[in-house]
Amino acid sequence: MTDAGPLNLSIVDDDEAVRTALRRLLRAMGHEVRVYASAEEYEARATAADCLIVDLRLPGLNGFELRERLQSRGSQIPIVFITGDGGPSPSDATAHAGTPTVAKPFSEGDLIAAITRAVSSETNIH
Amino acid sequence: MPAATNRQLAVRLAVGRALGRTRDLDDVYSAALDTLAECLDVSRASVLLFDPDGVMRFKAYRGLSSEYRAAVQGHSPWTPDSVDAEPLLVPDVTREPSLASYLPVFVRERIAALAFIPMVSLGHVIGKFMLYYAAPHAFEDEEVQLVGVIASAVAFAVERGRTHEGSRRSDSPHGFEPNASVIGPWEWAVTPGAPAEHLGGLPSGTLRQVRQCDIESDRDCLKILGLDGRLLYVNPAGVAQLGAEDSRALVGRRWVEFWQEKDHEVVEQAMARARAGTIGRFQRPTRTLAGVMKWWDVAVMPIVDAGGVVVQLKAVSRDVSAQWRTEAFQAGQHQVLEMIATGAPLAQVLTLLVHVIEDQCEGMVCQALLLDADGSHVRLGAAPSLPEEFSRRFDGQPLGPRIGACGTVMQTGRTVIVTDIGHDSPWPDLRDAALSIGLRACWSAPIFSSKKKVLGSFAMFSDTARGPHREELRLLETAADLAGAAIDHHRSQEALRQSEERNRAILRAIPDWMFVLSNDGVYLDCHVKNPGALLVPPEVFLGKSMRDILPPSLAEVFERAFERARTTNEPERIEYSLDLQHERRFYEACIVRCDSDKLLSIVRDISDRKHAELDAAAQRQELAHLNRVLILAEQSGALAHELSQPLAAILANAQAARHLLDRTPLDLEELRETLDDVIKSDKRAGMVIHRLRELLKKSSAVLQPLDVNEVTREVLDLTHSDLLLRRMPITTALSPDLPPVLGDRVQLQQVILNLVINACDAMSTVEPAERELKLTTVADDECVQIAVSDRGVGIPDGHLDSVFDPFVTHRPDGLGLGLAISRSIVMAHRGRIQAENNPDRGATFRCFLPLANGTADVSIGMNSVVAMMSPG
Repeated sequence: MTDAGPLNLSIVDDDEAVRTALRRLLRAMGHEVRVYASAEEYEARATAADCLIVDLRLPGLNGFELRERLQSRGSQIPIVFITGDGGPSPSDATAHAGTPTVAKPFSEGDLIAAITRAVSSETNIH
Repeated sequence: MPAATNRQLAVRLAVGRALGRTRDLDDVYSAALDTLAECLDVSRASVLLFDPDGVMRFKAYRGLSSEYRAAVQGHSPWTPDSVDAEPLLVPDVTREPSLASYLPVFVRERIAALAFIPMVSLGHVIGKFMLYYAAPHAFEDEEVQLVGVIASAVAFAVERGRTHEGSRRSDSPHGFEPNASVIGPWEWAVTPGAPAEHLGGLPSGTLRQVRQCDIESDRDCLKILGLDGRLLYVNPAGVAQLGAEDSRALVGRRWVEFWQEKDHEVVEQAMARARAGTIGRFQRPTRTLAGVMKWWDVAVMPIVDAGGVVVQLKAVSRDVSAQWRTEAFQAGQHQVLEMIATGAPLAQVLTLLVHVIEDQCEGMVCQALLLDADGSHVRLGAAPSLPEEFSRRFDGQPLGPRIGACGTVMQTGRTVIVTDIGHDSPWPDLRDAALSIGLRACWSAPIFSSKKKVLGSFAMFSDTARGPHREELRLLETAADLAGAAIDHHRSQEALRQSEERNRAILRAIPDWMFVLSNDGVYLDCHVKNPGALLVPPEVFLGKSMRDILPPSLAEVFERAFERARTTNEPERIEYSLDLQHERRFYEACIVRCDSDKLLSIVRDISDRKHAELDAAAQRQELAHLNRVLILAEQSGALAHELSQPLAAILANAQAARHLLDRTPLDLEELRETLDDVIKSDKRAGMVIHRLRELLKKSSAVLQPLDVNEVTREVLDLTHSDLLLRRMPITTALSPDLPPVLGDRVQLQQVILNLVINACDAMSTVEPAERELKLTTVADDECVQIAVSDRGVGIPDGHLDSVFDPFVTHRPDGLGLGLAISRSIVMAHRGRIQAENNPDRGATFRCFLPLANGTADVSIGMNSVVAMMSPG
């Protein structure tokens, strides 16, 4: 549970097992969760959320590209990247541009910490 | 060829035996027909002779109806004047226009084919020999030659029989068969001790019953002997036959002295029997006073006085030289044939032949000359009775005038008669040499092969200037004929020997082992240079069945190969291995049919090659493994992703479950679903690890029927996330219902993986939107094809083949092993791989793998990769 209490969370991951498991976990923790199988789906059906959890590796637009789109459209939604492999290294500051990233498999603590960081940094900036 | 001459000899011997036994002409025909049935399996045949009016008449026949004989009586392709008559063969009577008028007769008699074989004596046709067949018949040369041999033997016997019958008719009727009833009228009343008064004539006073006329005019040599064995009287025929001037040279001498010493006992015994009142008989040769060797058939009878007391002896000797010669000739001929048949050296056979002929005619010497195989030089065959300095003149000479009459004979193939060497000879050099050793006439006949090729000449030299009489000409013909058989046989034996020698030389030169086996797998013979290298020594396996020698599974493999070799008549190849004491050896056997009932198995030890192949395979395996490790290293990101996804799901689910447990009431349904998802994800992770392990394992290949589509999908599963990450959009067109290929799953996965990675690499510099990776599978009757095409940079000109060479790469970070390994794997699967540039853009790699069915020998290619599949 975050300090901010129940959150409204959106998850974009093409892997159904991961999607389902995360939704189950976060709901069990008391959050509202919506899931999307791709960036394109998210863009089409997105609703307002406190935080967007995005898998970096996606068919079509990947996590970075989704972030860019959102930012270019002026969205300030806090984002957490989740990743199943090295891909662009998590330490690559340019790529991540301060976006908290957790590598799979991660514990609920790591995820919540990342969400908290994303939400608070957003708050701090703005 | 050797078989043919052996058969010819067999026929000659058989016909000689059959004809030698009999004098009666009917028996001769019968014997000839028997021989025909026995040697040629012809059941219907006939012998016809020209009668004195020149009409061809049946003399003997087998299997012919009287209607038929009546219908064809008198038909003959030849007249008694025909010379150089050749056999007339009619393989199908319906196709022979000249016999059209006889066709209905043939049909009624069920004759579909026939042969006319002329019987020739002294060049003239005396009759014919007929063979009849119920079905159309393709005549073989050998068959016709054999019938020819029988026909000429019968012609000889007919001529001889006619002479014999003629002489029998001219014999005096009471002839030479002394018996008790004949002795009576021949009784003599002799005053004991009274010497013969008229030495020139019969002691007339002593005759009680005068048969003077009979005695004096008797054609046999008739003598009266005293009990002491001295000659008292010799009749005029006797004086002449003994070659004496008159009886004075004979009377008073002891009779026994006229005989060779070794025969004295026989003569004395015959006289003793006569003195005892019975008849003594013997047959012995002795020379006349003129020195001529003659054979005598002798009977010694008692002459008794009125009181029945033996007072003198009567000896009747008949000159049976002619008859004896005929018999001696028969025996001699037989001996010559047997010598030929038993493979005696040609010179010995010809020498015997010359002796046999010389024995037939007093005062003749013979010579056999041979024509070299080149047809232009002459060799001395045999001339045992001619001085060596004379006969040597011919040896080695080129065919020409120096050879004299025989040269002409060999050049023309015709008999040459020189009646007076002193006058007729156009060869002065030779003439003088001949005259100096007393040769006055030369008669020479060509020696022919069974195929009518001139092989040499046979010459008879006479010490008087004259031509040959009928009998002598026939002897000459017979001698030439026998010499032909001898030379033919010798040459074919020689050819056989040379070919055997050649074969032996070839055998010596080749390292392969050869086994001759019967159709049912019994070892009959073998050629093995190093028997020590065999599983068991020859003396153990010869005569035994494969099943008793080889491991059962291998014997079965051989039996199947035998069956195929027998039915297809094509060579069959099999590879196998055997475990000898210290090592496994590998062999390749080629099996061919030989004869109708045997098989030849040529076995080569291919262990060295096989071991080299195995070494190469091991190296290839190492490289393949290295290639897989490299692929995995490259793909580590994708693999980590593949693993982390299920692990993430598991962890999230587990932690969710903990939260669910804190709730009241417990949502058991949700908990069960959560745990089910954990299990599912765990299995997924397990699969990834399993595949990784497979790829990393250094295992031997395992051949199994594989669905190429399935293998392709497994590769795509593995590379899915990598392709996603690298933005390689992939499309597949997998033909449904692909027939299986025989292959190793991991190795084929590796091939496809390499091709996919290669395609991705080729597109790495291409805009993502332009990329396209396409996997296609398709099958035809022989192969399954896997095609991987990209829209990348393509293959530089001239590198379509070299892309498969190891360490050839166009990537900065690659080792260049992927395609090389892929090709070696595909080739080990008896397949092929090729690269081509697409017409518009990029390249396509096609890999063809043979279908699992009908490709039994994939195992041979793979057994280098796979543990050896062969038995042993």
